Amino acid sequence: METANHLIRPEFLSLGADQIHALMPYFVAFAGCLVTLLLSVIRSVNPKWPVLLGTVATCVAASVLSIEQIREPSLSLFNGMMVSDSFSAFFNTVFLATAGMTALASFRYLDRERLQHTEYYVLLLFSALGMMLMTSALDLIVVFIALEIMSLAVYVLVGFRRADRRSNEAAMKYFILGSAASAVFLYGSALLYGATGSLNLREILAVLQSHPEGMSPIFTLGSWLVLLGFLFKVASVPFHMWMPDVYEGAPVPVTGFMTTGLKAAAFATLVRLFLALGFGKAVASTLQQHVHDILWVVAVLTMLVGNVVALTQTNLKRMLAYSSIAHTGYLLVGLLAGGGSDQGFSAVVMYLTVYAIMNLGAFVVLSVLAEQGDTGLNLHDLSGLARRRPWIAFALAVFLFSMAGIPPTAGFAAKYLVFYSAIQAGEIWLVVLGVLCSAISVYYYLRVMVYMYMKEPVGSAAPSRVSFWAASVVAAMVVLTLQVGILPARLVHAAKKAVTSL
Amino acid sequence: MMQVEPWLVLSFAATIFFIGLTGVFIRRNILVLLMCIELMLNAVNLTFVVFSRQLDSLAGQMSVFFIMTVAAAEAAVGLGLVIALFRTLRTVDTDQIQLLKE
Repeated sequence: METANHLIRPEFLSLGADQIHALMPYFVAFAGCLVTLLLSVIRSVNPKWPVLLGTVATCVAASVLSIEQIREPSLSLFNGMMVSDSFSAFFNTVFLATAGMTALASFRYLDRERLQHTEYYVLLLFSALGMMLMTSALDLIVVFIALEIMSLAVYVLVGFRRADRRSNEAAMKYFILGSAASAVFLYGSALLYGATGSLNLREILAVLQSHPEGMSPIFTLGSWLVLLGFLFKVASVPFHMWMPDVYEGAPVPVTGFMTTGLKAAAFATLVRLFLALGFGKAVASTLQQHVHDILWVVAVLTMLVGNVVALTQTNLKRMLAYSSIAHTGYLLVGLLAGGGSDQGFSAVVMYLTVYAIMNLGAFVVLSVLAEQGDTGLNLHDLSGLARRRPWIAFALAVFLFSMAGIPPTAGFAAKYLVFYSAIQAGEIWLVVLGVLCSAISVYYYLRVMVYMYMKEPVGSAAPSRVSFWAASVVAAMVVLTLQVGILPARLVHAAKKAVTSL
Repeated sequence: MMQVEPWLVLSFAATIFFIGLTGVFIRRNILVLLMCIELMLNAVNLTFVVFSRQLDSLAGQMSVFFIMTVAAAEAAVGLGLVIALFRTLRTVDTDQIQLLKE
C-alpha cells in the first residue's frame, strides 16, 4: 500500500546536509562505541586509559553537538521514523552527560573492585546510544530496537561483577522480567499496527483523530499492552518488584546510571507515546478516561509503596531504590497532569533532569563510600561520617535534601512544578496524596542525616582516597543541585522549549 | 490452495503469546524461561505477518526481520548470563536463587 511505496522511493534513501547535521550526535556516539571497542583490544599498553578517554571524549563531543541542536527546528529523519527536535536534543544531552559522568566516576571504583574490564565503558556508551535513539524514535519498531540496544547493554552491566552471586542473580532477574516486558510492549505495537495500519506514531495519532467515536477493541488492547510494557520499565507499583533486587545486586555506579539514564529514557519515550496515543490532545474517547483512572491509581500506589517501604530499609542502596520508586510516582503525577495544565509535560522533563542530577551525585558518593563488594552501605556504617569525611557527608546531605524536596535545592523546584501543574489540571486529590507521601519521605532521608551528623563515629578504618574524577563529578552535581534550586528559571525555560517542539 | 482465516491465526498467536507470558511467571527453570520469552517474541512475529498480509503493507514483514535479529541478540545475552549464574551457583532453578531479600 502507501507505506510500501514510501519505502522504495529513492529520495528517502539519501540524506540531505541538514539531516546529516541533525544526525551528528548519533554518528559521533556510534563512532565512539566502535572506536572504544577497538581500543579495548590494544595489547601494547593497558587499554583502560585510552578507552576511558575515548568514552569521555565521545560523550563531551556528542553532548556539545546536542546542546547546539536544542535551538534548532525539528526535522523528520529516515522517512519519518525518527525526529530530531528540541525534546530529543535536550534528552540526548542528559543521557550523554550521565554516561560520561558515570564513566569518570566508576574508574577508581572498578580498579578497587578488580572489575577494570574496558567493556564496561563500551557498554555504557552503547546503552546511551540506545537511549538517544529511543527518545527520538517516531516508529514503534525503532522504539523497540532502541529499547533493546539500551536494555541488553544494561543487563550485562548489572551482571558485571561476574564472580558475585548477587550480581548474577540481579542480572538474571532483570533480564527475564525486562525481556518479558519488552515482548509485551512489542505485542502491543503489533496490535496497534493491526488496528491502524501503521507503526508510525504520527500516523497512529492521525488515525485516532479521524475516528472520534472511538477505536476498535484491538486498538484498546494494543495501547494497554504498550503502556504496560513501559510501566514495567519505569517500575511503577504493580511491576516494581524487580527494582530493589536489581539495584542492590548491580555495582553501585551501574545502579546510579540505571536510576538516572534508564528512567529518563523510559519516561521521555512515554511522553512521546502518550501524545501519540492521543492523551492530552482533544481526542474524546473512553480509552483516555480509562487510562487516566488507571494511571491515577498507579501513581498513588507507586508513591505510597515506594515511600512506606523505604522507611523500613537499613541498607542505603536499597533505600534509594525504593525512593526511586517513589519518585516514579511523582513523575506519573506530572504525566497525568501534562494534558491539562499550562506547563504541559515540561514539569516531567524538568523533574527527570533534576532527578538525574541529584541521583547521579548520590550514587557517586555511595560508590566512594562502598567497601569491597559493595558492603558497608548500611545506615550504621555512616555514623559520624560528618566528622570522618566532612565534604562527602555534606555532598550526600545536599542530595538527600534535594530528593526530599527541601527548598534551596533543585528537588524542591522540580517537585513544586509537578504539583503546581497537577493543581492546574484539577488533580487536587492527587496533589494532596503526593504531598503527604513526600512528607513521609522526609523521615528516611533525614534519618541518614541524623546518622551522619549526630552519631559517634564507628570503626577506625582509614578512609580510602577519593579519586579526583569522582570528586569533581560530585562537586559538579552539588553545584548544579544548588544552582537549579536557587535559579530554576533557565532549566524550566529549556524544558518548556523541549516540550513545545513535540 | 487452502485459505486460512486471519482471525484463526491471530488467536493462535495470541494463545502462544499468553502461554509464553504465563510460563515466565510460573516456571522455575531459567532455560525454560528463556524459551518462554522466545515464544512470546515469535507469537508477535506471527501477529505482524498476519496483519501485514491483511493490510497489504510491508511494514509488518519488515518488523519481523528486526524482531528476529533482536531475539537472537537477546538469546545470546541471556545464555551468557545463565552460564555466569551457573558458574557461581551451580543451579538453574530459580527457587534456589534467593540471595537478594524481598
